[in-house]
Amino acid sequence: MPLIGQLALALALIIAFYSIVANVIGARRGIPTLIVSARHAVWAVCAMVTVAMGALWTSLLQSDFSLEYVSSYTSFTLPTFYKVTALWGGQQGSLLLWTWLLTVFTAIVAFQNRRRNPEIAPYALAVLAGVAIFFLAMLNFVTRPFDMLSAIPAEGQDLNPLLQNYWMAIHPPSLYTGYVSASVPFAFGAAALITGRLDDSWIRSTRRWAIFSWFFLTLGNLFGARWAYEVLGWGGYWAWDPVENAAFMPWLVMTAYLHSIMIQERKDMLKVWNLALIGMAFGLTLFGTFLTRSGVISSVHSFTASGLGPYFLTFLLVVCVLYSGLLIARVKSLRTPAEFESYLSREAAFLFNNLVLVGIAFAVFWGTLFPVLSEAVRGVKITVGPPFFDKVNAPLALALIFLMGVGPLIAWRRSSLDNLRRTFTAPAILGIVAGLCAFLAGLHQWYVLSALSLAAFVLGTVVAEFRRGVSARRHMVSESAPKAVVNLIAKNNRRYGGYVIHVGVILAFVGIVASSFFRVEVKKSVKEGGSFYIGPYELVYLGLTTRETPHLESAIARVEVFRAGKPIAVMAPAKLFYKRPQQPATEVAIRSTPASDLYLVLAGIDDNTGMVTFQVFLTPLVFWLWAGGLIMALGTVIVMWPNVRERAAIAAAVRAPAALEFDAQTVPGGE
Amino acid sequence: MKPGKPLTLVAALLAISLGVAAVSLAASIAAKTSVQDVSEGLTCQCGCGLTVANCNHPQCEFAVPVRTRIEGMIANGMSRPQIIAWFRTQYGEKVLSAPTTEGFNLVAWIMPFAALIAGGLAIFFAFGSWRSKAAVAPVAVGAFDPELKRRLEQELRERI
Repeated sequence: MPLIGQLALALALIIAFYSIVANVIGARRGIPTLIVSARHAVWAVCAMVTVAMGALWTSLLQSDFSLEYVSSYTSFTLPTFYKVTALWGGQQGSLLLWTWLLTVFTAIVAFQNRRRNPEIAPYALAVLAGVAIFFLAMLNFVTRPFDMLSAIPAEGQDLNPLLQNYWMAIHPPSLYTGYVSASVPFAFGAAALITGRLDDSWIRSTRRWAIFSWFFLTLGNLFGARWAYEVLGWGGYWAWDPVENAAFMPWLVMTAYLHSIMIQERKDMLKVWNLALIGMAFGLTLFGTFLTRSGVISSVHSFTASGLGPYFLTFLLVVCVLYSGLLIARVKSLRTPAEFESYLSREAAFLFNNLVLVGIAFAVFWGTLFPVLSEAVRGVKITVGPPFFDKVNAPLALALIFLMGVGPLIAWRRSSLDNLRRTFTAPAILGIVAGLCAFLAGLHQWYVLSALSLAAFVLGTVVAEFRRGVSARRHMVSESAPKAVVNLIAKNNRRYGGYVIHVGVILAFVGIVASSFFRVEVKKSVKEGGSFYIGPYELVYLGLTTRETPHLESAIARVEVFRAGKPIAVMAPAKLFYKRPQQPATEVAIRSTPASDLYLVLAGIDDNTGMVTFQVFLTPLVFWLWAGGLIMALGTVIVMWPNVRERAAIAAAVRAPAALEFDAQTVPGGE
Repeated sequence: MKPGKPLTLVAALLAISLGVAAVSLAASIAAKTSVQDVSEGLTCQCGCGLTVANCNHPQCEFAVPVRTRIEGMIANGMSRPQIIAWFRTQYGEKVLSAPTTEGFNLVAWIMPFAALIAGGLAIFFAFGSWRSKAAVAPVAVGAFDPELKRRLEQELRERI
């Protein structure tokens, strides 16, 4: 198996080189057979990397410890599920997963564009192959997943216990899918710059890819936060750690990009900005990997820090220089006569939304790198932690939420004051009432009041917009209100899916604000039968049980929870001790309700006195962070759902002159 | 039921939910302890990457004694800045969880907002130049082509 895997990776590298040459020469000289051959090469690269993936998975499942990777990240006793996920538990495996995703997406792009975009698709495929070559070179020469050990160990070193969690099974693949799929719009942007086809056909062709990338970046960040919440045992979910920041920045820039391309599609403006944004998003995905791999900044998530940093940094710089050079060279051709009439317009709101999103991304980038800068300039190592990011980003988040309410409802070109009054009066009143309610309820922090008011304002605008749409439908075609809502979304999925995403963002925002400001913590040591209180809950410690498997030992505490004297749940936090590697871990118990989460950690066991220490957090509304994230994902699915009308528009936009089309049926010796 | 009623109901429910959320929050309010407040200003040195307040190692050799020491310092009447300053002299600047607001560290705080202002100015000037080029199309009042109206209604029926 290792030999097959290594051979497959070597072949993939060679064929990827060929696909670049064939695509570029085929496109430049107009040789259709070469283009078809290049397309086949792209599929062959995907097949080869799939073989390598299969080989590594087989070795992991067979516990083939002759392989260094398998012995480093698994053991005989590791459950099968985690043997599967160990593929991305280490550096070589996670790079292989990245490469595999890239080649799969490239293969899909090649298939999608076999009759479309004949001018730019070969160059886009060449760019994607170029990125794949970098990763394949790493896998072939620098960090090989199929390296063999001279002496086969009797047992493996096992997977890091922190990674033995189901969220870790889905968090890295989701994030990688988000990272890697951002390569597709980037490659088409680069191809548009290379070929000079600078209209918005590259955006239309890859818009769904950009949304797909955003969808997985959203899920990746959400799953990562949930993993931190359940595994790290500190009651929080986001610590502004460099690796978390690295995942957050591309999400912010992709969000800006998805809003900004609407202006280009609608008004043919911001061509340079959109190309710059997608370049930035792609660069940040590489930067994120550089941060994770280089160890240049200490991080709780750097499970696989290595010497790969310089390679990634060099590749990142090469990409930045080449892409910026292309962009600068084409600036004149990208300039279009822009029309702008008023600050009270949707394009203005979207531009300010872009400013704030990129501003937050810059603040995060700056804060993440500042320790390195400080050390270089002053020779003093400093920490830039949560207080910095919270203080800088909190006001920007409010501005963003405000624009989220205004942007989608304000008119293109210009809005009259009367129009603004009609659109925003009711949501504004709702916001003010919500703020007043919060104040009367005893919440006096200005940030909390502003956040709740703005959240209510945005929800009000969304409800008002649905209300208008439903009324219009019922006026035009008589149908019931529920049917009108369904048809409204189905016929305008892009628009109303976007509103659903906004609702998700608002719910997540409320969850974040509430959980950040009002989390309560109690730490208590009790004997069996002893009890203590947190908020409205009484917790009674019932006793300790132990359990042992070949893989780990665990001590599980049983705690009965009472509310108003009535038993409502029995919770079981545990302390785990993994046998290989010999490492303790914590398994928290969470009782989640829409109002608050009761989060119980078994912090310590004193065998001499029989005392057990619990750390308990009561976190209000954190449920809505996860629910909001899932609603965002649902909204994105609605946006991505195939829409016949839109497909026809894309087909019309990207259809090239017949003479330029070369598909398999017209190419001699083709498919 | 009138067309807008279900949605008005949803809006009302949302407002009520927010009110309930606010009450729920108010009920759970507890003033942050001073230990918590101070320890959020310090970074744990055990390698967890979190603040002393949030270190996830229950038996942490750094965070646990530091929290105890902070408790003692508060009992002795020391203020938050005094305690933070004391830890800074003991462990250096790296123990602080955010850059100070003096010297080169000011750059950390100023730069994000400076970049934002620069971006805002760029948009302002870009708008200025676009605005001067834009010709506002005159709107013909009262002259509405019946054929155009028919097409518009047809389009609306298809799109809404």
